[in-house]
Amino acid sequence: MTLLDFARGAAMKWSIAVFLFGVLWRLVGVLLLRRAHDYSQSRGPSLVAGALQTIITRSWPRKEFRASTAYGVAISYVFHIGLAIVVFGFVPHILLIRSLIGIGWDGLPSGVIYFCSVVTLIALVMAIIRRLTHPVLRLLSNFDDYFSWLVTAAPVLSGLLVVAHFGARYETLLAVHILSVEVLLIWFPFGKLMHSLLLPLARGQTGAFYARRGAST
Amino acid sequence: MSHDESIGESLRKQGISRRAFMKFCAATASLLALPPGMAKVMAETLERARRPSVIYLSYQECTGCGESLTRSFSPTLENLIFNMMSLDYYETLQAAAGTAAEAARKTAMKENWGKYLLVVDGAIPLGIDGAYCTIAGESAADILTEAAKGAAAVVSVGTCAAFGGIPHANPNPTGAVAVSAVVKDKPVVNVSGCPPVPEVITGVLAHYLTFGSLPELDHLGRPTVFFGNTIHDRCYRRPYYDEGKFAKTFDDEGARNGWCLYELGCKGPVTYNACPTVKWNQGTSYPIESGHGCLGCSEPDFWDKGSFYSALSTRNWSGGTVLGAAAAAGVAIGVGAAVVSRRRRAQREKEKQS
Amino acid sequence: MIADIDTLHPLETEGARLGIKNPAQRYDRQGERNDQDRMEAAMRAFAHDFGATTAVYLESCIHCGMCAEACQYYVQTDDPRYTPVRKLEPFKQAYKREAGPFAFFYRLFNLKHRVTVDELQEWQELIYDSCTMCGRCSLICPMGIDIARLVGQARHGMFQAGLVPHELWAVAERAEREGSPLGATPKVFKERIDWLSDEYDVQIQVDLDSADILVSMSSIEIMKYPQAIVATAKVLNALGEKWTIRLDGYEATNFGMLSGNAQWQKDLSMKIINAAVKCGAKMLILPECGHAYGAMRWDGANIYGKPLPFEVLHVSEFLARNLRNGRLKVKQVPKSVTFHDPCQIARRGGATQAPREVLAKLGVDLHEMSPGGDLNWCCGGGGGVVTIHRADELRYKVFQIKMKQVDESGAEMLLMSCSNCRQTFDDGQAHFKWDKTAHSLLELVADNLAR
Repeated sequence: MTLLDFARGAAMKWSIAVFLFGVLWRLVGVLLLRRAHDYSQSRGPSLVAGALQTIITRSWPRKEFRASTAYGVAISYVFHIGLAIVVFGFVPHILLIRSLIGIGWDGLPSGVIYFCSVVTLIALVMAIIRRLTHPVLRLLSNFDDYFSWLVTAAPVLSGLLVVAHFGARYETLLAVHILSVEVLLIWFPFGKLMHSLLLPLARGQTGAFYARRGAST
Repeated sequence: MSHDESIGESLRKQGISRRAFMKFCAATASLLALPPGMAKVMAETLERARRPSVIYLSYQECTGCGESLTRSFSPTLENLIFNMMSLDYYETLQAAAGTAAEAARKTAMKENWGKYLLVVDGAIPLGIDGAYCTIAGESAADILTEAAKGAAAVVSVGTCAAFGGIPHANPNPTGAVAVSAVVKDKPVVNVSGCPPVPEVITGVLAHYLTFGSLPELDHLGRPTVFFGNTIHDRCYRRPYYDEGKFAKTFDDEGARNGWCLYELGCKGPVTYNACPTVKWNQGTSYPIESGHGCLGCSEPDFWDKGSFYSALSTRNWSGGTVLGAAAAAGVAIGVGAAVVSRRRRAQREKEKQS
Repeated sequence: MIADIDTLHPLETEGARLGIKNPAQRYDRQGERNDQDRMEAAMRAFAHDFGATTAVYLESCIHCGMCAEACQYYVQTDDPRYTPVRKLEPFKQAYKREAGPFAFFYRLFNLKHRVTVDELQEWQELIYDSCTMCGRCSLICPMGIDIARLVGQARHGMFQAGLVPHELWAVAERAEREGSPLGATPKVFKERIDWLSDEYDVQIQVDLDSADILVSMSSIEIMKYPQAIVATAKVLNALGEKWTIRLDGYEATNFGMLSGNAQWQKDLSMKIINAAVKCGAKMLILPECGHAYGAMRWDGANIYGKPLPFEVLHVSEFLARNLRNGRLKVKQVPKSVTFHDPCQIARRGGATQAPREVLAKLGVDLHEMSPGGDLNWCCGGGGGVVTIHRADELRYKVFQIKMKQVDESGAEMLLMSCSNCRQTFDDGQAHFKWDKTAHSLLELVADNLAR
């Protein structure tokens, strides 16, 4: 069995298994904790509407905060959108997704994907430089922050190497690329990457909380 | 025809002109990516060279490789057999049968001990002491081991001989292995493919005849000159891949426009072979040009890498049960973790009361 | 009792404000207990709050650091220690070890060590001195984490560990013992009321057995701004309401909540709830006090364990409602005014528009601060911070934001609807010899009632 067979086979199966296992463990473990009932008289018309509203509006800072957060927000937007385009727009990726869950769509030209990958990688590098130099971020950062960055950047870099056939034989690069994504999948449930799933929960809670109070979020 | 005859003498006897011979040398040199001046050197060397003895053994194979070899256009098989080599044993083509055939092999081996070239196609079954494939009461493995002892070099023709091929595919009932698994102490060249491109077979033999040595090999024992690039890199449909234009079915607009066959399972990106450059049938076309994706036949275990029609980036496993079990276990442990946390909290509350 | 709390750093109770001898000391301890004991107590208190809501928040932080930009303490000092979410570090660590989905492994492999008393001590300054729980960070967080609420929860463990800044502990303890943090006992309060009704010739109903409206007061008003009592009475009398003040439940401030003692918080809240239930009030009016609004309007029912049988309104909401329905009439006030939004009423209370309605009826020229309304900067004195003497220097630093905002508004008059903010403004005014004086919205209305 070659490295590529391993990456496409057993490694993929088990990394997805670990991903599902860990994600459900963490979500269920959190959501089944006690949730106290709030008896206060609600001012807002609908807590659900408040939750949904905040899930959306918290995606960008309020105008009062825009100036002070612009740089960090811009970088985050670039690499989040870049990652989304690369992950969901590249035909080989779409084919994989279709083979996994049965849903597919049309892809983008490879040139667009290459360009986005480079931009994404640059934004990720800017993000890590900022984390390493900004006093607040330096103080806050822990292993999770750095490792999560690594497992996010590695697939982008290895993907570009595959496309460029640079550094090793194609099938080796492809295997490394797939394996790097599998490392990400395995790490996902246990680190901060879970924020992508926790985000609607946290924002929703706060949205409902503020909606009850009739305060803006 | 005597082994002592030089190739030049043999050619003249056959009435082949020097001009035709030069043409053949030029073609072969170009195929081997040699500098243009080497064609002349090759011609001079070959003219004077003694015709070497070649023993061609066939085991678990379909004769596809032999069929391919006979369709080689340059140098033609006829040239090789009758002019450049002394093919002393090849079951498919030889007139002799039975005891006479085996005697011919033994004689050739004895007369050319240490000098003959051993060509093998087909895999070697090792199951039940090699009983799955025997010739004149001897097992394939035994004949091969003995023949390899006296060979100058071994050429494994076809993916079965090179990597085990289809006989080796799951569940491999006969215990088939590659030639290199049996022959350990002699240089082995793997000319893989199912079948290999005919010019690649003859090109390797011509190289051996010209230089008396084997060409440079890659990590799988294949000549880099033919197996140095992927099908994908040299594919004439590559621009469509880069543009994101893919055929979705074999009879859609994209297929008619000759777009990339990646989505239809083409294994070109991970397959190393000379198909896009040398092509088949006197350079007519190659599978992708005929509208079908590459099967990856020159790579080890190509038969066991999932469907030929599922794209390269897709999974090659099925494991709904494993994933279902993982999800169920995740939920169960999550519930357990929450219950433990709630209990611990209750315990803390109790401590607080007391 | 106060003398018992710490022999090493005794409280100076005779000064204008409670203060400690050694302000350089960055942490205080209550009582003589061993560290193990303190830690266990902190853990028990933390564990109480580790429900699903808190867990989702604590699991979600991506360490983006944006909350620092919303925090007055970081903005004014550039000290990354004041990053809001970092103030939760020990709380989060305790959660991961105690209640998170992977808690078992954190304990098994000691991936997160037990929170130590040293850590909690170090964090005392971060959880108390440099956080007013103003909630600006809760609005900037891209994950939507309500950091301010979590700080309030983290204070529970600090209190149980006996690691509260002394002055805050002392006022909370006094509130629990005497019914008021500042000595406004029922006796003192009654004397004030008698004097005020005499002096200002206004009728103040006390201890009615049955009333439609129960009025509560802040100790700060009773002791420092007694005009607020007169103003409230004037407005309610003008409306002809059947209202009362009850000496068994009048104190709206809740230092139990601010200091982190959940039991005391409950005791203090239940006094008012019981008083309102006893007199059959349909409405409870909360005074101009920020945290009193949060404590009763939003936490009250949860402490009661069921919906409250009466409506809870901040006095600014009450004014806005009655001006809106025309029952209350006011004269026009031809002045330019700027309004300071108390965090717990506006940003975290949702009653941002009420004072603006009132101001519109008064016809003033409102110059909004920048930013104003829901994102107005905190005065720096909320969350009990104004009581902590050693935090004064830091508090003055952040108060400079407020001064700048007010100055830039260019308004003649500075208004607010929280006596704690007002007290902080008065203190800042004295410290900086500033020319702006804080005024009460309620008093402005009461002074301009139209017949």
